[in-house]
Amino acid sequence: MRPIIEVRNLSKRYCFDKRVMANRNLREAWVKALKSPVERFYGRPALREADFWALRDISFEVEPGEVLGIVGRNGAGKSTLLKILSRIIKPTAGEVDMYGRSGSLLEIGTGFHPDLTGRENVFLNGAIIGMKRAEIKTKFDEIIAFAGVEQFLDVPIKYYSTGMYLRLAFAVAAHLEPDILILDEVMAVGDAAFQKKCLAKMKEVSREGRTVLFVSHDLMSVRQMCGRALLIESGKLLDVGDAESVVSNYLLKICEAGVEN
Amino acid sequence: MINEEAGMVVAQLPEDSPGTTNATRTHPILPGEPAIKIRPESLPVLSNLREIWAHRELLYFLIWRDLKVRYKQTIFGVAWVILQPLLMALVFAVFIGRLARVPSDGVPYAVFAYAGLLPWLFFSNSVASGSQSLVANNYVITKIYFPRLILPIAVVGVRLVDFLIAFSVLVGLMLYYGIHVAWSILMLPVFIAQITLLALGISIWFSALNARYRDVGAVLPVVLQLWMFMSPIIYPVSLVPQGWRLWYALNPVSGIIEGFRAALLGLEFNWPSIVISAVITISALLYFVYDFCRRQDSLVDVI
Repeated sequence: MRPIIEVRNLSKRYCFDKRVMANRNLREAWVKALKSPVERFYGRPALREADFWALRDISFEVEPGEVLGIVGRNGAGKSTLLKILSRIIKPTAGEVDMYGRSGSLLEIGTGFHPDLTGRENVFLNGAIIGMKRAEIKTKFDEIIAFAGVEQFLDVPIKYYSTGMYLRLAFAVAAHLEPDILILDEVMAVGDAAFQKKCLAKMKEVSREGRTVLFVSHDLMSVRQMCGRALLIESGKLLDVGDAESVVSNYLLKICEAGVEN
Repeated sequence: MINEEAGMVVAQLPEDSPGTTNATRTHPILPGEPAIKIRPESLPVLSNLREIWAHRELLYFLIWRDLKVRYKQTIFGVAWVILQPLLMALVFAVFIGRLARVPSDGVPYAVFAYAGLLPWLFFSNSVASGSQSLVANNYVITKIYFPRLILPIAVVGVRLVDFLIAFSVLVGLMLYYGIHVAWSILMLPVFIAQITLLALGISIWFSALNARYRDVGAVLPVVLQLWMFMSPIIYPVSLVPQGWRLWYALNPVSGIIEGFRAALLGLEFNWPSIVISAVITISALLYFVYDFCRRQDSLVDVI
């Protein structure tokens, strides 16, 4: 069977070179423009010195209906990978093909406006994360019931408690139903009861046959939810395999690093 | 295992399609071409426009959000949209029209000034807030994908609604002064379209520039102020010396404002100036859209 996501040799480079960063400011850009003929004459110093590869040559495939976990330390490149897959940033090299509609939730409540009411924000946020208006309309009651904010529908959300706000945000997100769902630790909200509800919703999503990519530091939920997992370190793909073994491999690596220090 | 999406895909396949056997039915049937291709190269302009069309509902919601938020927070609500050009026209009518005795092509100065200020304020407000559109929404564009061009377009859309509301006062003013419309009024939509396209082009340009160089936000108010005095807003073109006219017409705003006023008040059209401004408007828009599409990939990296 053909994979639903194919990632081939994906790389992302950031330049933290002083000369590139100087472009951030108009004055400096002009100064640089004036200087550059002179510098070209004397030969430019190498530009590549301060390059930073956030991702280097990542390749993997995801089968339809699979729940794939992505683990790794902070700064390993997990979020960069998700951002490229979500089309927020472009890769420097490599390619990705997706055979289905994708939706990503790198945070919940993106674009919520404090002055708009709960009702209005459901529509706005829904549209931003890629739902159609008709789709939001049909799911509206379900979303509100899931969040449990029926009484406060027409109150601006700046008056919502943090919990209500997060529940509403998650409720909209949970009703996004693309073929491929890309998640970045959006689970960690609300109290224990709500988290349980969220986990149940996640399981329901994977039972429906949707493909899920899932970054998390919560290794328990990766073990529970995911069939397979990727381990990323310093921008490189270190391990792919069934979630259980990748997670133990990851834990082992952390212990080794701890011993070395 | 078949979800609704897969059902849809199956329905779209032709009856005799060889792919619809039982073996492939257990999983969502994947179309031959990838639905999403991610490549290092930037998307061509045409694909960008197609993406915008696919996201038109989002565009609508962004315009709706800005209008809603603005009218919720203010006491006067919609009145501000009318008051800004009206108060400016009043002040100019007293100081420029009455005291400085600037001519106004035989039209009452207040109407003359308001008819110039209306499209000008639409343009300058669009550019001022359009230039901030990417920066102001940076918390959204670093979290979710949609065609970035939608943001400056939405700003111009909001200002266009303001413009149409403020336009009603102009109708009132013309009735009050007893100004009759002529056939030239049929050209009015053309000039409204043209100022919209120009506002779009310049907003798109400055929004991308401002994301990279924040200085743009500081420079822009000065630029817009100077631009206003270099356009026939509070004085007629007839005041500009003949020898300067060609240079003067290179400012695309001047041809549009002149045309707008002529169409509305039944004055004579200055065709050379109108054509020059139309050519500049269209080429500027095309170039800035192209430029934006080229730059947008690195935007999120630097914003």
